[in-house]
Amino acid sequence: MSMALLELKNLNMSFGKLQAVSNLDMNVNQGEILGLIGPNGAGKTTVFNVITGNYRATSGKVIFKGEDITKLAPHKIAQRGIARSFQQTFLFQWSTVLDNVLMGFHMNCRAGALKEFLHTSLARKRDREARQEALEILDFMGLSGQKYEMAGSLPHGHQRALGVSIALVCHPTLLMLDEPVTGMNPTETIEMVERIRKIRDRGITVIVVEHSMKVVMGISDRITVLNFGHKIAEGVPDEIKKNPEVIEAYLGKEGK
Amino acid sequence: MSRINMVGLGILVLLLLLLPLVVGGFMTQIATTTITFAMLGLAFGLGMRVGLPRLDIAAWWGVGGYTTALLMKAGVSFWLTVLAGGIIAVIAGGLLFSLALPRGMIAFFVFCMVLSMAIYQMFGSVPLFGGWGGTTGVPAPTIGSFVIDTQREVYYLGLFFLMVTVTVYYLLYHSRIGRAWDSISSSLKLARSVGIDVVRYRMANVLIGNFFIAVAGGFFVSYYRAAIPSIFSFQAGVNTMVYLIIGGFSHSLIGPILGAIIATFIPEYLRFAQTYQAIASAVVVILILMFLPMGIMGWVDRRVKPWFYKRKWYARLSNWGVKEQPKMPV
Repeated sequence: MSMALLELKNLNMSFGKLQAVSNLDMNVNQGEILGLIGPNGAGKTTVFNVITGNYRATSGKVIFKGEDITKLAPHKIAQRGIARSFQQTFLFQWSTVLDNVLMGFHMNCRAGALKEFLHTSLARKRDREARQEALEILDFMGLSGQKYEMAGSLPHGHQRALGVSIALVCHPTLLMLDEPVTGMNPTETIEMVERIRKIRDRGITVIVVEHSMKVVMGISDRITVLNFGHKIAEGVPDEIKKNPEVIEAYLGKEGK
Repeated sequence: MSRINMVGLGILVLLLLLLPLVVGGFMTQIATTTITFAMLGLAFGLGMRVGLPRLDIAAWWGVGGYTTALLMKAGVSFWLTVLAGGIIAVIAGGLLFSLALPRGMIAFFVFCMVLSMAIYQMFGSVPLFGGWGGTTGVPAPTIGSFVIDTQREVYYLGLFFLMVTVTVYYLLYHSRIGRAWDSISSSLKLARSVGIDVVRYRMANVLIGNFFIAVAGGFFVSYYRAAIPSIFSFQAGVNTMVYLIIGGFSHSLIGPILGAIIATFIPEYLRFAQTYQAIASAVVVILILMFLPMGIMGWVDRRVKPWFYKRKWYARLSNWGVKEQPKMPV
């Protein structure tokens, strides 16, 4: 059995009577881009929230690098190497773009609380390094022109890019992107897709939830399709395109 | 800090040092009271940095106050009693807050409110604390053989405590800890997603606050020479919030100090201090929220600062001694 980076085992998540995710088994392999798709309300974002610890699974297990992380708090899961961007653009609205990214550095710069408090030279050195890397990440994400702008005043597409930048700062092993190209124009979308590929090439495994079929089909190594909380298909993009169940889920029976 | 800010700060400190030499005893006394209230307001501002409005400030103020009152009457040195008060407030706070903090902001808010009233009741009814009449006859603090007992000397003692508090808070706000705090108050979910342990950072914040609130209590008692339950009432805790509303929520250092000055001096001058204080502060809060929703400092940010930014001399002044071009204010 090949070792998957992330395994979901018989995962269930219900809100009262609503079964948002049922009996989901899913593997994410090291170094791939996995597309997670499905019609509205299929449970994609719920799966994200369960993996990152924002929701506690009703039953089933989430295993990351061989460790059961089902019951861990969100910050502990983040510390183990899972970073995410949010569907709603959760940002530090009143800070500059650069400060936003610097805040994400929290986990990486460990000068020790007391030394940092006293502004020792070590802490200052770490601060400079953090700044340097933050600038590189912003450059990579195409935001270097906006680094001193207020995050809240950015256009929607740039806000998404900033969300991804913050997630990248955490040096993740697994990056989870919730609708990364929503609100972007075609050029921005192409750039973003290119960047996601580059992120993968750096050795970071990526899970993408996205509505735009074109993007998902173009970018994913593998695709998992959800409908009403059930997994209805899994495979490479070409298989998924032809899968009758998937077509039915998206277009209804008439569409056949 | 840019060089011009340092010069400004230096002038301000010099003015504060000269104040009691210029004004009379009555003004000095009000200024000393203001210093105490400013320290409490600063602690409220500290809590707001992690999105926790604290209504238990008066309680910890009392804990520090009574510790100093009781220990000094037993003959312990003033400085040790202040330290002891701070430590007791941190330990007791750590135990009590560990019940409420993991349950989120609303739970904490309600818990603090109830706690403040309970501790107030405790001061009044437990015989150790001297009943509702309080503990009186606290001796004056000393440094070696020097007795701090004139109005002026007490003012300088208070100013020392205030400056220590402001310095520590300033360093905290500009460190990694401060950045983590800001991220918590700005977006809880994102903070967690970048690996910040929200409960632990909030705990650190409120315990640091507790220490300095208790220090303010120790100082106040050494100045007032008594600890009386009615001083540490729930109302006093609510007032600290009023300081921040008047001064401006977005400035956790200047805001509360400015608010404390206004809220202490004006009532003293208009002489309606005791009788109508609660009504007056309600009216002030409503007026502020209507006309200056971000407080006085918010108004300064929006109206006063842009006027300066347009002046050439100001630009030259603010770039004086700055090596790297800082980001432009928006």
